[in-house]
Amino acid sequence: MSEPASLTSSAGEAPRGLWDDAWDELKRRPIFWISAGLILVFILMAAFPQLFTRVDPRWADLSLSMEPPSSEHWFGTDRQGRDVYARTVYGARASIVVGLTATVLTTVLGGLLGMIAAYRGGWVDILISRGGEILLGLPFVLGAIIILSTFAGAQSDAGPATIMMLVIATLTALSWPMVARIARSAVYAVKSADYVNAARVLGAGPMRILFRHLLPNALAPIVVYGSLLIATFVSAEATLSFLGVGLRPPVISWGVAISESGDFIRQAFYLTLFPTIFLCATVLAFVLLGDAVRDALDPKLR
Amino acid sequence: MGRYALRRLLQAVPVVVGTTLLIYWMMWALPGDPFAGRCGERACPQDYIEAMNAQFMLDQPLLVQYSAYMANLVQFDFGVTYNMVPVSTLIAQALPVTLRLALIALAVEAVVGIVAGVIAGLRRNGYFDTLVFVSTLVALSVPIFVIARFAQWGLGVNLGWISPTVSNEATWAELLVPGAVIATTTTAVLARLARTTIAENLRADYVRTAIAKGLPRSRVIGVHVLRNSLIPLITLLGLDLGSLMVGAVVTEGIFNINGLGGLVYNHILRLDSTVVVPVATLFVLIYIFANLVVDLFYGVLDPRIRYE
Repeated sequence: MSEPASLTSSAGEAPRGLWDDAWDELKRRPIFWISAGLILVFILMAAFPQLFTRVDPRWADLSLSMEPPSSEHWFGTDRQGRDVYARTVYGARASIVVGLTATVLTTVLGGLLGMIAAYRGGWVDILISRGGEILLGLPFVLGAIIILSTFAGAQSDAGPATIMMLVIATLTALSWPMVARIARSAVYAVKSADYVNAARVLGAGPMRILFRHLLPNALAPIVVYGSLLIATFVSAEATLSFLGVGLRPPVISWGVAISESGDFIRQAFYLTLFPTIFLCATVLAFVLLGDAVRDALDPKLR
Repeated sequence: MGRYALRRLLQAVPVVVGTTLLIYWMMWALPGDPFAGRCGERACPQDYIEAMNAQFMLDQPLLVQYSAYMANLVQFDFGVTYNMVPVSTLIAQALPVTLRLALIALAVEAVVGIVAGVIAGLRRNGYFDTLVFVSTLVALSVPIFVIARFAQWGLGVNLGWISPTVSNEATWAELLVPGAVIATTTTAVLARLARTTIAENLRADYVRTAIAKGLPRSRVIGVHVLRNSLIPLITLLGLDLGSLMVGAVVTEGIFNINGLGGLVYNHILRLDSTVVVPVATLFVLIYIFANLVVDLFYGVLDPRIRYE
């Protein structure tokens, strides 16, 4: 963990820094553009589903129950006679919102706590590090099931926003220690470097030292980890929703759709197929993006 | 080495206590009355509630409950469930199944992941390398539950090659496909890691030296490169042993396997902390133990590493 950090510290201050190099590297890779394009489509789908379909995903017509795909209903209709294409398009929102928000929260929280742990040392460090270890000792899926059934059970009539917030909070609570560990080791490596001491002697406060001098060192490894984290979170959200403890109706989600359609997999395979394709394409796009970002930012691979 | 192992074990104590306390607290905080629906369609009689309170200390503060519980656990007394079934019996039934499943998954990961990664790393940018790259991408993008569902539907229902659900005996043969399903993600990660590590080590100075002094290629790769590349791979495999028990929650549920994952999941839904806490403790212990074994194994693979 310490090697990339010490390398970035010398590159970060140069006129052509790590980030310029990384961007040049990214620009030249077709995989980056393909994944970015895919992600852009899914983000558009999440923000403006009306662009992709005019059908109301909640409109149910029981006389159309379980119709196979046709020109009228491209992906067919589900048991309640709802349009599967519309539901699949609207399902993007849950995945994208949960994946992106949980990633931002995890990296910000973990990064801050890790940097504070390394900078302050002493009992603050012990508290944050041990607290993180306790959470990391908890198996991820098991921990998520326990947390979600603890807090979600209390609000069985919760609205879509509340349910989503709970899932995001759960993913964040279980994942920040990994980011904190990365940030801590990156900051620890340069904490007593001469330039940090010089800044302190010149009268810089702890805030300035943390954000102007230490953060740039921790940023690259955190960004690399975070970019790979999005795919994990999208997949985790679908898994938890599939298990019935994550998102649940009225939220429209691919995980819920795959779970619900499982009972009809023999009669209506398309019910499972289309949400699955969309889910896997989203995860694939974020995996590709994460790979590209890692390759561009990790100086070891240059 | 003994002192190092002891120190690591001692360091693990606060983590185990913290994790179990956290689980205990959350199970305790689970909304819902543990007596609800326990006595048929009527409220439980007062003396039943009193007897249950005496047995499980449900009316005591959390910390009192927890310390009494842990005191028993340390003496390998796992207690009984609310239905008075000894938890040790449940664990004894479920543990062999999950262990078999984990071993199958571990074997698939180790064999497929390392072989594919090593060959890809040795022949970078070749046909096989591209194949490995594409298949790892697919394996990483498809969530486990989707793979499990499709394996169950495709191999089980459609083709009839396997039984869609696993019987109570859960034989090795029945667990083969579920084990392979669990293994997919880590196999892909392992293959990628093996590929980069091999490629990195091929450029190392000692490899150039070994080639320069005229060693045959098989010896250079088999002894010099492979042995040095194994360390990160063993780390990953060891850490995965802990999480194999976890991926099991999803896969065991889909294939209806009566392992630890299914056991703990069912009892979370039933608000029965008497099962969840010991099984979760077991998970944490396995995880920490796997970490320790991995760290001790480094010394075997790399004599430069000393523990003190």
